[in-house]
Amino acid sequence: MKSWLVPAASLLGAGWFFATAVILGVVVGRWADDRTGLEPTFTLVGIVVGLAVALIGGYRMLQPLMSRLGDEPPE
Amino acid sequence: MKIILIAVVVLAVLATGFIVAAGPEPHIVIPGEVVWKVGFMPITSTLMASWLAMAVLILGTFAMTRGMKLIPSGAQNFIESVIEFLYGQVEEIAGEKNARRFFPVVGTFFLFILVANWIALTPIFKSIGWTKDYGHEIFHEIQLKAEEGKPFDKDKHFLAWQMKDAGGVGLAQTGAGTFKFKIHSGEEPSVALDRYIIALAEFYTDFKPSVDAAHGEGEPEKADVEAAFAALQADPKAPKFIAADDHGHGGEADGHLGVSSHALGATFTALDFPGDKIALVYPFFRAAFSELNNTLALAIFAFLVIEFWGFQSLGFGYLGKFFINPLKNPILTFVGILELLSEFIRIISFAFRLFGNIFAGGVLLLILTFLVPFIAPLGIYGLEMFVGLIQAIVFSLLLLVFAVGAVEHHGDEEHHDSHDDGHHPGGGHADVHHLEPGAVQAH
Repeated sequence: MKSWLVPAASLLGAGWFFATAVILGVVVGRWADDRTGLEPTFTLVGIVVGLAVALIGGYRMLQPLMSRLGDEPPE
Repeated sequence: MKIILIAVVVLAVLATGFIVAAGPEPHIVIPGEVVWKVGFMPITSTLMASWLAMAVLILGTFAMTRGMKLIPSGAQNFIESVIEFLYGQVEEIAGEKNARRFFPVVGTFFLFILVANWIALTPIFKSIGWTKDYGHEIFHEIQLKAEEGKPFDKDKHFLAWQMKDAGGVGLAQTGAGTFKFKIHSGEEPSVALDRYIIALAEFYTDFKPSVDAAHGEGEPEKADVEAAFAALQADPKAPKFIAADDHGHGGEADGHLGVSSHALGATFTALDFPGDKIALVYPFFRAAFSELNNTLALAIFAFLVIEFWGFQSLGFGYLGKFFINPLKNPILTFVGILELLSEFIRIISFAFRLFGNIFAGGVLLLILTFLVPFIAPLGIYGLEMFVGLIQAIVFSLLLLVFAVGAVEHHGDEEHHDSHDDGHHPGGGHADVHHLEPGAVQAH
């Protein structure tokens, strides 16, 4: 049971995590642009930070999974 | 032959559904409906549903574990096997030592989310509740604006069902009509009233206006309003506008001034519904996690408990995961800040994942029941049971995986071979990599 449960849940979680990170970066960036009038500086910064968080956080989330899958002997 | 017979029966049931059980047009609201107000605190339908889920869990556990025996049987056997199965799963992922710490929280999250999702599929949800009387509500809105003497400052949409009054209880009839009305921003209250008169006349009587002003923008024709008003007066079951003169109080009733009609020139102080009302059901119960407030509460608690476990295991060394001296390694400093951000982003992804799935499921059920009353929603109910289970598993498993990540020592992956036992002042606390057989075998 566990062999597929944990990877499945982690993948489902990672998808949402990616989306949230990028969308949140853009939303915060747009808000900062509105406040400062420096369009599109902060939106771009937000996209970059969001992508970076998605990448690093997602990698961290999936890393135990990847190493575990790598350890499994081939059937 | 058999297949044809089954197909005919299914089609017949579907057709019957369309004829006898077609529900009124569903009304979808994102925030939970306020059922009661206790002081300043609104009690919403979703909060009621969480309480119901808690009650089911607490009473169920109490009933099943009363008179516990060493050799379990029946209900006690069932609940013990559930708990044992969950504990086994947690132990496999977190290790023996951490499982004892994590299991109460993770198991509670799982059971609570599961029960809350599943009881939301029972028939008492979204069906029984207060009726909100929109017929009077719309008139009251116009009245308040007329009192202020200003035009409306924003658009307002109203949707309501035709409801029979059965001894003080509102009943939505099958195939009931849907009443829709919109107040436009920048509209004068007197014009809004004229359009409301036409909309009511169209809904309750055979009246047809020459221009469709009730649902469009702009002022209605004077003749239309007069004809609509006459049609309402003529029908004994149609709503009646009560003019100021009838009261003899100089146009004042219930402390509210009357609102004058632009086209008719008369002033009305009240609206009376002698026949069917136009109202909407505000349910007592709605799926607990179809509201963002509830899922956000779970997400914030999950976040706090993960951070708490992190500090408990690693002390202030836990912060070393996020704040890394830039002189040592500038790139890792940046990574640490991003990791700190991702801790907070988890709150939002936790909250939105659960909310999105459950809310969408509820809307799907509602719309499908409206379109095809019988048979078809059954499949979706099955799907929703599955979604409810999956979401409970995902939420609790992710919480567990993040918790295991939080209590691991910093840089564990790189230092597997060095066996630096003396390095960690944490001592007896959670040396996670010793519990993982894979880590020991690695070298």
